[in-house]
Amino acid sequence: MEAEIRISEKSRQDAVGFRRARLRALWVRRMVIFVSAVILSIYVLAPVAWLVSSSVQTEAEITSVPPHWIPEEPTLQNYEAIFLATEDEEITYENRSGVDPVSGGFIPSTAKNLLPAMGNSFIVACAVVVLNLLVGVPAAYAIAKIRFMARNASVYFILTTRVIPDIALVVPFFLVIKNLGLLDTLPSLIITYLAVTVPFTVFILVQYFEGLPDELDKAARVDGCSRLQALIHVYLPLSLPSLVAVVLFTFLTSWNEFLLALMFTQTEASQTLPILLAAFTSDFTISFSFINAAGVLAIVPPVIVAIVFERYIVSGLTAGAVKG
Amino acid sequence: MARILFNKVNKRYANGFHAVKDLTLEIRDKEFMVLLGPSGCGKSTTLNMIAGLEELSDGELLFDDRIVNDAPPHERDVAMVFQSYALYPHKSVYENIAFGLRMRRMAKSEIDTRVRDAAERLEITHLLDSRPGNLSGGQRQRVALGRAMVREPSVFLMDEPLSNLDAALRISMRAEIKELHRSMQTTFVFVTHDQAEALTLADRIVVMRDGVVQQIGTPDEIYERPQNTFVASFLGSPPINYLDGRIEMTAGGGLFRRGDLSLRLPQHVAERLEGQGGRSVRLGIRAEDVDERREGGRDDVLSARVISVLPIGSDQYLGVRFDKQELFFRVGKDLRHKPGETVDLTVDLSRLHVFDPETTRSLIWGDSASQ
Repeated sequence: MEAEIRISEKSRQDAVGFRRARLRALWVRRMVIFVSAVILSIYVLAPVAWLVSSSVQTEAEITSVPPHWIPEEPTLQNYEAIFLATEDEEITYENRSGVDPVSGGFIPSTAKNLLPAMGNSFIVACAVVVLNLLVGVPAAYAIAKIRFMARNASVYFILTTRVIPDIALVVPFFLVIKNLGLLDTLPSLIITYLAVTVPFTVFILVQYFEGLPDELDKAARVDGCSRLQALIHVYLPLSLPSLVAVVLFTFLTSWNEFLLALMFTQTEASQTLPILLAAFTSDFTISFSFINAAGVLAIVPPVIVAIVFERYIVSGLTAGAVKG
Repeated sequence: MARILFNKVNKRYANGFHAVKDLTLEIRDKEFMVLLGPSGCGKSTTLNMIAGLEELSDGELLFDDRIVNDAPPHERDVAMVFQSYALYPHKSVYENIAFGLRMRRMAKSEIDTRVRDAAERLEITHLLDSRPGNLSGGQRQRVALGRAMVREPSVFLMDEPLSNLDAALRISMRAEIKELHRSMQTTFVFVTHDQAEALTLADRIVVMRDGVVQQIGTPDEIYERPQNTFVASFLGSPPINYLDGRIEMTAGGGLFRRGDLSLRLPQHVAERLEGQGGRSVRLGIRAEDVDERREGGRDDVLSARVISVLPIGSDQYLGVRFDKQELFFRVGKDLRHKPGETVDLTVDLSRLHVFDPETTRSLIWGDSASQ
């Protein structure tokens, strides 16, 4: 026996009304998200776009009003100056206007230092990343999975070192580096950057390791692993997202670091990219487009690193933050 | 194949918690030993000490005649199954099972044979290429068993391996674990807080509480002859009922008296309590040790008012009120009682338990059943 279902006309109309309202709300929500995303993207990307665009413009075009977002006469003169700079092409006050007769833009003599400085930055950043992992991973594993006296105290101590602002550490760091005879060398930067980054690395990894069940560690050890083997065979493969987060964080921190590099480096032997770029801006005769070309080169390696690891970034940062 | 011996072992954690107190216990070779107790009783700590995952604070732990106090887990030839299964999420089922063998540098062909044999036995061959994340709870449990099995360890440890399974699966896995023990011919140590699991699986049971062993014995001994009220209460469903009262010695034997209630003590109990007339005792009546259909004789009837009737399919639980106390019994399901009625329950006197209300120790089984 089937019961007859009676639906009044009024309730049918109501149902249609509710459905329309729901769809409208959905559409409004999507539009709000879309428009916000577009505005945010423009806000973030416009300076980068201007940097790239102006780096291939002449000095005359760069100062035109209104600005040309798309260069009318693109030129690679700035990049040529950087990549083809040689020792013999000494640019002096007298001959500098001859460099770019069209614009009168000035290419500084330090242009040839740009690539070596990039090399320095890269070496320092890679060394800091590798050493961070070598120190941070075992430290975090020990803190997260081994019960020992003063375990919490050691976590707090490590974190406390990061409460002190870098500027307060500059003088003591300088004395240490000077007494070690490492002034104006790359190791001086690597050592001090480690002091800055290792606490964060340990903190992120401890959070992540603590989220992984203790029983995995026990199972691995009963299966025949030593502590170190349990770390390598079980924990590291599982913590890939947080490791990627650590790699990105430490690489970008060292790549961008300015204050300590300014203190410890004096010559092109150890100068990193931020120091050289900053020096350009203090010379008002240097062409804007050249500075922007150097800026483009400075963001290329971090962008490549970010693109390579992009799919891990989000899960890595949140996985450490929200404990399972 | 190993005998495990705890000699006056203590475990104190860094925070001061005394998890295991003066544990002296022999687990015989090829025995199926179950450690039973509520959470926090020290049973898992004891298991972890056997595995080498926890250090002993003092005392000695021997495998056969070898002191293994400080031997790391991989030197002990033990395998372990965890409550959460603890499968490696990034490895396939095959690799999970093979991992322990690889760590021991076994030949590839031998690994393959063992993994496939185990998989076949556990009926998980079709899952060998899957990741643990894609398996059901029961399948994961099988993989965890397989991982321990292939090692062919001399001691097989299980930490509440069935707790995360649903009820039906739990029963069938019990049977499989029992069969596994029979065929592997090795020492099993199994931790659980589930009395039914303990009773069905064990050769012997250790009941623990607050880090102290309460009783060691076969399932029958533990159930039939509990040495104290804790052991008596921990096993049995619904739990044993207690009635405080007094002993009265008469010419015809001993009587338990409380108000109107008078129960005749069986011969072996009366003998034990000879000359202790008048002392107060705590009487224990197991839920199933009453019969409503049997005609009551002299001094063996408990009259009480029914307050609840809880059918459980095969039987029913009968909640009654006697002298301001609530008691639960298990009776046949054909009985039709309604709350408020008075019921006469005939007590099986031969199965009475008598405890000292002060020390909670059994006055009947005290010495005879201790190890």
